[in-house]
Amino acid sequence: MRIPCPYCGSRDASEFSYSGDATLTRPAPDNADAMFDYVYLRDNPVGVHREYWYHDAGCHAWLTVTRNVSTHEVIDAVLAHDEAAS
Amino acid sequence: MLDLAHIPAFANLRSMGDGRGVIARERRGIAVATVMARKGQSAALAAAVKEQFDINLPLGPHGSGSDAMSFLGTGPGRWLVTHDAGTPRFVDSLAQQLDSLASVVEQSDGVGLLRLSGPALLEVLAKGVAIDLSATAFPAGSVAVTQIAHMGVTLWKVDEAPTIHIAVARSMAGSFLHWLEASAAVAGLVVDS
Amino acid sequence: MSISRRLASGGLIDRSKPINFTFDGKTYGGYAGDTLASALLANDTMLVGRSFKYHRPRGIFSAGPEEPNALVTLRTGARGEPNTKATTVELFDGLVASSQNCWPSPNFDLRAVHQLAGPLLNAGFYYKTFMWPAAFWEKFYEPAIRRSAGLGALSGLDDPDTYERSHAFCDLLVIGAGPAGLAAALAAGRAGARVIVAEEDFVLGGRLLSDSAQIDGVSAASWAALAEAELGTLPNVRILKRTAVFGVYDGEYGAIERVSDHLSVPPPFAPRQRLWKIVAQQCVLAAGAQERPLVFPGNDRPGIMLASALRTYANRFGVTPGQRIAIFTTSDDGWRSAFELQKAGAEIAVVVDARTEVAPDVRKLAGNAPQFLGAHVSDTSGYRRLTNITITDSAGQTRSVAVDTLGVSGGWSPSIGIATHLGGKGSWSEEKSAFLCNDLPPGMQLAGAAAAQWTLTQALENGALAGAKAASHVGLGLQAQKPILAGDEASGNNPVWLFKGSRRKAFVDLQNDVTATDVALAAQEGFRSVEQLKRYTTLGMATDQGKTSNVNGLAILAGEIKKTIAETGATRARPPYVPVAIGAFAGLHSGKHFKPTRLTASHAASAAAGATFVEAGQWMRAQWFNAPGENDWLQSVTREVKAVRSSVGICDVSTLGKIALCGSDVGTFLDRVYINTFSTLPVGKVRYGVMLREDGFVMDDGTTGRLSADHYVMTTTTVNAGKVMQHLEYCHQVLWPELDVQMVSVTEQWAQYAVAGPKSRALLQALLGGACDVSNEAFPYLACAEFHVGNIPLRLFRVSFSGELAYEIAAPAGYGEALFNALMQAGKALGVTPYGTEALSVMRIEKGHVAGSELNGQTVARDLGLGRMMSVKKDYIGRTMAAREALIDPDRPTLVGLRPVDRSQRLRNGALLFARGMTPAPDNNAGFITSTAFSPGNNHWIGLGLLACGLERHGEIIRAWDPVRSGDLELEVVDPVFVDAEGARLRA
Repeated sequence: MRIPCPYCGSRDASEFSYSGDATLTRPAPDNADAMFDYVYLRDNPVGVHREYWYHDAGCHAWLTVTRNVSTHEVIDAVLAHDEAAS
Repeated sequence: MLDLAHIPAFANLRSMGDGRGVIARERRGIAVATVMARKGQSAALAAAVKEQFDINLPLGPHGSGSDAMSFLGTGPGRWLVTHDAGTPRFVDSLAQQLDSLASVVEQSDGVGLLRLSGPALLEVLAKGVAIDLSATAFPAGSVAVTQIAHMGVTLWKVDEAPTIHIAVARSMAGSFLHWLEASAAVAGLVVDS
Repeated sequence: MSISRRLASGGLIDRSKPINFTFDGKTYGGYAGDTLASALLANDTMLVGRSFKYHRPRGIFSAGPEEPNALVTLRTGARGEPNTKATTVELFDGLVASSQNCWPSPNFDLRAVHQLAGPLLNAGFYYKTFMWPAAFWEKFYEPAIRRSAGLGALSGLDDPDTYERSHAFCDLLVIGAGPAGLAAALAAGRAGARVIVAEEDFVLGGRLLSDSAQIDGVSAASWAALAEAELGTLPNVRILKRTAVFGVYDGEYGAIERVSDHLSVPPPFAPRQRLWKIVAQQCVLAAGAQERPLVFPGNDRPGIMLASALRTYANRFGVTPGQRIAIFTTSDDGWRSAFELQKAGAEIAVVVDARTEVAPDVRKLAGNAPQFLGAHVSDTSGYRRLTNITITDSAGQTRSVAVDTLGVSGGWSPSIGIATHLGGKGSWSEEKSAFLCNDLPPGMQLAGAAAAQWTLTQALENGALAGAKAASHVGLGLQAQKPILAGDEASGNNPVWLFKGSRRKAFVDLQNDVTATDVALAAQEGFRSVEQLKRYTTLGMATDQGKTSNVNGLAILAGEIKKTIAETGATRARPPYVPVAIGAFAGLHSGKHFKPTRLTASHAASAAAGATFVEAGQWMRAQWFNAPGENDWLQSVTREVKAVRSSVGICDVSTLGKIALCGSDVGTFLDRVYINTFSTLPVGKVRYGVMLREDGFVMDDGTTGRLSADHYVMTTTTVNAGKVMQHLEYCHQVLWPELDVQMVSVTEQWAQYAVAGPKSRALLQALLGGACDVSNEAFPYLACAEFHVGNIPLRLFRVSFSGELAYEIAAPAGYGEALFNALMQAGKALGVTPYGTEALSVMRIEKGHVAGSELNGQTVARDLGLGRMMSVKKDYIGRTMAAREALIDPDRPTLVGLRPVDRSQRLRNGALLFARGMTPAPDNNAGFITSTAFSPGNNHWIGLGLLACGLERHGEIIRAWDPVRSGDLELEVVDPVFVDAEGARLRA
């Protein structure tokens, strides 16, 4: 599988580490229940998924990748940094 | 006074096989630093680099400059800087010159540097690099941070001959040479002194 | 005296280059351009092995990679390769091959006795037999079955060849270089696309090599050669011969190139095989089609072959395998084979077609040969070679015809296996009597026979169109293709899936010895889906993956379960489409080179000093140093510990992760990732820190020093360096991008050595002179500094893992070996000793410092006695989850020291802990031993462990139970610090 790193270009998936759901926000620390959900609970959707990949064998950027987990088609990949800032 | 000898990373670089398909030479005595832009200072950093070194700071995976001094784009807001002129304590002075615009970290001994050329170079690199290195996909000036045989490398195509500079972690120099010899020997690996 | 079956002239072999080869110890002659199979047939050697289960005599069946019978072991010794298809082996001078699965020879095989057990060996027999008595399985049945099972045998020796990998990128990958593939490559190549053509065979052309048709006024084979020549002039086209594409993956293709298999030994430095990973924007699958055999009683005798294979042997190799040849067909194509054979000078004894009506133009193809329509072959005879066939005609009358070769033709199955690798399914077309694939991988088109476009004209036209379309997809213009003049042969087929006749076995899968009766049995026993049929009967599970049996098998099943073929469906093909040597996947990564090896700057010097090394992740670390006369590791390690605690030792700690952290918000950032505070750390100081995962469990620990206001250097454990870097970059880029912080690994930049022991200060003073003041006043415990000696930067940290007065000194790695030697020289008069990771470990256990065994992902800071470090004034990663009820439960296992009551006893890691009166069992323990060491200072074994309510049980006698190593002893629970409990040495 190839992932289009926005900085480096299209690269083999083995250059990246997968890190799961990118739709979550780290909750305020005093909300223990929300923190529990954030750490442990995940939806498992069929189809299009937004997920984190870390380009550890490349530019070390964290990416938010939009991917269809059924067909493996990678639809989009942006710097997670840009997403968080906006 | 304490006097320590310096050992180059690729001291064991050697020729192998018949032919001159790949020509290799270690680049020694190069000062290397990681330069990382401080928050909000990207534009100011680019201006400072232009003013002080007459180099256009690359905004993507490209190299700017020459053997004497170059900035290689290795990630968003980060560069690998190399300096060939043998100036003592170069990285310290670079850090001062870019103070408050970027964080500058010494890496001169963290990597071994090779200059590679030869008619079989792209064919040999294809045995380890999963990137299209052809002239259209990877034109002269392109930089890639990637891996060869599970070892992190930074590649910079300097010209279309092709000539490629490669940086490898010092501790893996032995394993890298094993890969290079095994891959290049059939076309002939020659050490250029 | 053996007969030659080689035609006097003709074929594409090079008769000016004779070749000698050996099969089963006998030497034969062939020519360049032969395969092993064609050369054997030329020498009238048809019988090449015995079948898998029944050990029936088997002959060469096909002329290509679909071959089910002619499996041989190629080469001898360590390079011997079993299960190689003789039909795809390119003949070379000195080739040595041997038959398999028969002893002593294919002609006379003692295991043929298996046939007598035939009724017991039908489908699924192993589910119903060898069960009683139970004890016999391990002692008798399994070893006996292992000896009998399998086809070829591995040499058992190390593979002396090397394998290589390569990556390629292109606009269009053309799989198969027959007429459709060559037309596609020409169309796309002429348009300027980057094209890679992968052809499994050693010659391009596919069916063009077996056809006597004309294309554009030249012979088919000449046209193929001209196409190849033109492609060779295009710089944007790469041709890979001897290269089989074995798999489609997400966005790329895997292929295996047989670089040196056709040479007696690989040339110097050349690999035997090369694994290609090809990233292609578009693909044209022009892999052709495979002829289907017919299923009738006695259909497996040597001499019965695919009809199209007969014309390949005649036209490409100049060989007719027999004297009197019959054709049995349900398709027009069978008649074409008869025609080609007669043209080559062979005698056609009879043509039998199951169809009652056949077009006159097709019937003319058989010339004067006798013909029977609406008839079928109902029986055969001849044990080691076919001698007779029995024909039953439409009236039910039988006649026997003497023949030694029978060509069978049941129609064609498009080779779409690769197209289904991403989950697409084949769908049955009644019109074409074939499975077609409509659900293709992204970017792939089918062309030619692979798309059931049977005729030569269709292959050329559709191939060209597919190539042009592919080129237009990558932005190159869609150009009109010049028309090619070729024949338009008849291609009708009316399949019959099973013919009745005598009671002999009618084979469906020749390689796995699966018969039509087995298929019926499976259906009868309830295995009525095609996937179940496959697993229960093993049909299609041999090395040929059912290429000549899958469709026949499922069609017979459909008949049994009274469903249509479309309803029954087909099994799914999975990579690899052809067998691929495991060595090819490994490439250079085998043995010592399985993963990269990382060496520290002191490696050579340590080896010279007698070090024994251990792997720590990818690194090699000195584990202990063997002094002259020492041959016991415990002896060496004990000596090293004593030396450090009484004078001074040097240990290479370069492998620990080192991360430079900079920026105006770096202190804030560190406060958020560590449980304790670092923003308040003064410049020139070091602090021990603990990092948690977000779920509250301890992730890593290390010491972090502040070199300037906005520059820290963090250390991590060796094995977690990468993980911590990933975590820190996640925190920065994803969680807190608003912070001004930059980070980069400097593990490689600095060689770093621990200098530990009461004389360590004296050693550094001798080494550094005035370059750095290391007095206790100027450089107290937990100080750090950077300074220069000449132009060489050095760093010094006063930290101690051993509990002694200790420092760590770092120099740029290129000076690392020199620094190590200088330290040893400076300490010579002080009795300096190099020490390794074992001694390091003994000393940290003596001091109760936690390490990897305690930071096991299941412990929280409080368990390890580090709870007081957890700041209450700031948020940090893991803080909230660490406060969960179960993680603050006082009954949790906590860190304790352990001492054997009987001081002579040895403690073992992993032993389970129990209160004295409890009955030990694996699931009700009170904790376990995490680390053990022989403590020279105490002269007995000590340990650290995690014990429920440990802090309240100091002084208690408990029990350590080790059923794995038969250990059971009593321990005293003590404070985890066994040496210098006050910590006086540290601050000396």
